[in-house]
Amino acid sequence: MGSLLKLTDTTKQFQGLRAVDAINLDMKENTIHALIGPNGAGKTTTVNMITGVHSVTSGTIEFDGHDITGMPTYKIARLGIGRTFQNIKVFPTMTLLENVMVGGHQCTKLGALRTIFDIRGAKREEEMLKEKAENILKKLGLYELRNELMQNLPYGRQKISEIGRAMMTDPKLILLDEPAAGLNPSERGELIKVIKAAYGEGLSFFLIEHNMDVIMSISDYITVLSFGKLIAEGTPQEIQNNPEVIASYLGEKYKQKMAEE
Amino acid sequence: MAATIIQYIISGIAIGFIYALVGIEYTLVWNSSGLLNFSHDRLITLGAYIFAGTMIIKLNINYPIAIFLTFLSMGILGALIAQGIFNPLRNMRSNIFAVMGTMLLGRIIAELIRLIWGPVPFTLPGFMTGTVSIGSAQISKANIIIMIVSILVAVSLQLFMTFTKIGKAMRCVAQNKRASSLMGINVTQNICITTGISAIICTIIAILVIPLFNVTTTLAASIGLKGFSAGVIGGFGYLPGAIVGGLFIGVVENLSVLFLPAVYKDVVSFVLLIVFLVVRPSGFLGKRA
Amino acid sequence: MEKKSNTMNNKKRNIILICTAAAVVLILPWILTTDYQIMVMNKVLIYTVVVLGLNFITGLTGQMNLGTAGMFALGAYATAVAATSYGISPWIGLVLAIVMGLLVGRGLGYPSLRLKGVYLALTTIGFSEVVRLVAANWVSVTGGTTGIRNIPYYSLAGYVFDTQTKMYYLFAVFVAFGIFCAYRLADSKWGRIFKSLRDNADAVEMSGVNIASCKILAFTVCAIYGCIAGALYAHFMGYINPSSFTIDLSTNFVIMLMVGGLGSVVGNIFGAAVVTILPEILRVFENYYQLIFCTIVLVGAIFFPEGWMFAGIKVIRKMVKKLRKREHITGEMGGGE
Repeated sequence: MGSLLKLTDTTKQFQGLRAVDAINLDMKENTIHALIGPNGAGKTTTVNMITGVHSVTSGTIEFDGHDITGMPTYKIARLGIGRTFQNIKVFPTMTLLENVMVGGHQCTKLGALRTIFDIRGAKREEEMLKEKAENILKKLGLYELRNELMQNLPYGRQKISEIGRAMMTDPKLILLDEPAAGLNPSERGELIKVIKAAYGEGLSFFLIEHNMDVIMSISDYITVLSFGKLIAEGTPQEIQNNPEVIASYLGEKYKQKMAEE
Repeated sequence: MAATIIQYIISGIAIGFIYALVGIEYTLVWNSSGLLNFSHDRLITLGAYIFAGTMIIKLNINYPIAIFLTFLSMGILGALIAQGIFNPLRNMRSNIFAVMGTMLLGRIIAELIRLIWGPVPFTLPGFMTGTVSIGSAQISKANIIIMIVSILVAVSLQLFMTFTKIGKAMRCVAQNKRASSLMGINVTQNICITTGISAIICTIIAILVIPLFNVTTTLAASIGLKGFSAGVIGGFGYLPGAIVGGLFIGVVENLSVLFLPAVYKDVVSFVLLIVFLVVRPSGFLGKRA
Repeated sequence: MEKKSNTMNNKKRNIILICTAAAVVLILPWILTTDYQIMVMNKVLIYTVVVLGLNFITGLTGQMNLGTAGMFALGAYATAVAATSYGISPWIGLVLAIVMGLLVGRGLGYPSLRLKGVYLALTTIGFSEVVRLVAANWVSVTGGTTGIRNIPYYSLAGYVFDTQTKMYYLFAVFVAFGIFCAYRLADSKWGRIFKSLRDNADAVEMSGVNIASCKILAFTVCAIYGCIAGALYAHFMGYINPSSFTIDLSTNFVIMLMVGGLGSVVGNIFGAAVVTILPEILRVFENYYQLIFCTIVLVGAIFFPEGWMFAGIKVIRKMVKKLRKREHITGEMGGGE
């Protein structure tokens, strides 16, 4: 298995604070890779560096054989990285279908002038986008809601729709920033189903999550951060039994709970 | 030649302080309410009319009391505007309503000025006139007063923001409205106070520029715009930045007369604005965006 | 099945609406009695073109543009100078206006739109002021404060559009084309991207869209529409001078957009009409008409942010619903008796 996402000595310095300290991370193709750690460990900062939202202080980031360090966000996205946000970022005044269709804009070709005058071409493109978005919404189980305004949908649905928008860009990798936060148990179940299904179709996921049930049930490999430093990596089994991880993040209670089960 | 240049620089610094005050005045409102107050030039004009037209010429009150009364009325007006217009507008779906609200307010004030005081410009004879000679350079008293008053305003505002409870609350609101209101700061009320202070600074500007321009309905049109440029060039939303930006624009545009036809003096500040946006969008003192 | 019949109905409704609108536009000059009234309608048409453009950057993309007067002036001066000093045909002046629009869109959009924040509002307002100052002071080209006189009318193969009615029909054709383009663009994937930029630019960028270039595109469209409208205005008025292109004019254009409802092409037309015609009606209040007009619009902005037309439609719908409900209830009661 080749490497899909590779961080080498990646560091982010915010004035006095070293939010991410020279971490090395190698994510393989066709995996679901989780990044966990206590609050303030630098997880979201890492994702923001990967997507070009934050500049990288030192070190490099490679994706799919390209060096993406310091690239603008939209170019990184075009290489095949999609993303959802910790605090959802949707378009509340547009319908669910339109929200998802926005994700496909980059895959279309017609410029503004041709959109105006090439009536048939524009229609064909629009229908193509619509069909693609509808198919994705069917996979996400949101098809029935497609004509609802985003602002009228419950939080959990909005959150899942972000995955749909990311899928519209035909990515190889989707970064999920705390996808389960704020979801109720049944929505969490749906989320796991959606991620697994997409994974089955060849998508890779890199996720930040606090919910251990979600993490342990879907991830192949886990990296643990604490105070900007990488403290452990391994399979879910290895991580659960790693004393340092238990001490700094999972806690003794978690170990006892696991032992009971 | 040297004396001329010195004169240019000094009048540049004086007008620069005016731009700086304009910058401060609108940055205060921006920080507290997130609105760009496009009616600020009309507020300045209104201050000039209340002071010169009503207090001095019509009622013939002596200067200190007239200044105090103008401050009082403008401060109250500012607070009322904030309560009646800024507060409902700042929470609307699109910031376009807020911008248009302040623009319309400016027009309404302009119309009121025209209806109350009439369209004919006038002056205050003998108010801050005369010159002082330092070496071979002639400096007008008005310019000296402008510099002294502006420095006093900037310093006292800084002290106010640092040491008083209201000032500290203003800084909190500027940084995070939700957290401030959770900490028990009444954000709405704070915006009213800030806008009131901003209106008082507008009045100070108005009184200071009366000797430079006549009292006309377009008194503040150009300084209003240049104050915006001053803010961006110094570092948007940052009070000391407004001062640096204002002084920079004032001096550069006054010296530009040496190289450019004088009629294009007013274009300089805008060109500087564009140059800064391309080269250094965060301004002189602003943090990197 | 039901969905299909729905879209069919919509199509039918749209065709009927368009036909009615076209009929009204065609008949209007016969209904209006004076030349002055037709002149006001011509202004409505020209301003509609500006607002159609402004809708893209301010209405859809949500970036404040306060420099439409500057664009308008640039278009007007470009074609007026070309026509009066160099004898260039007004039709080529139109092309010049488009070139001006492209230049402004790129030149002003690039510095202010690649940054987040309110910079566009500030630079456009300054830009507009600079255009006015240059027009007032570059006497050898622009005629200074006296402006340019004797700008020729449009003419086509010897037929001169020299009366208000003739110009009205010419401008109506322009506006129809402008509406067509604006509608096609606003209703396309581009319109969707503009709207999504207004709602949440970060998410759009993460979808691989170069958001700065999209905003610049919206702004350029606005500049082109503004410059074309300016060119039409120059040949419509016959003379121009810098005092017509103040910030008040820019404000008026945004008011039109706001009154019509942000983002709606139909609303744009409605807004341009209301904001041009309403002050004419309010003139009965003489000295106070501006004050009354501004107050009405300000109150409207606070209470009907969706635009007056849509607020009206909403109210009517509610009333119809209520009426139907009442009829339903009385009907049932009647049945029970």
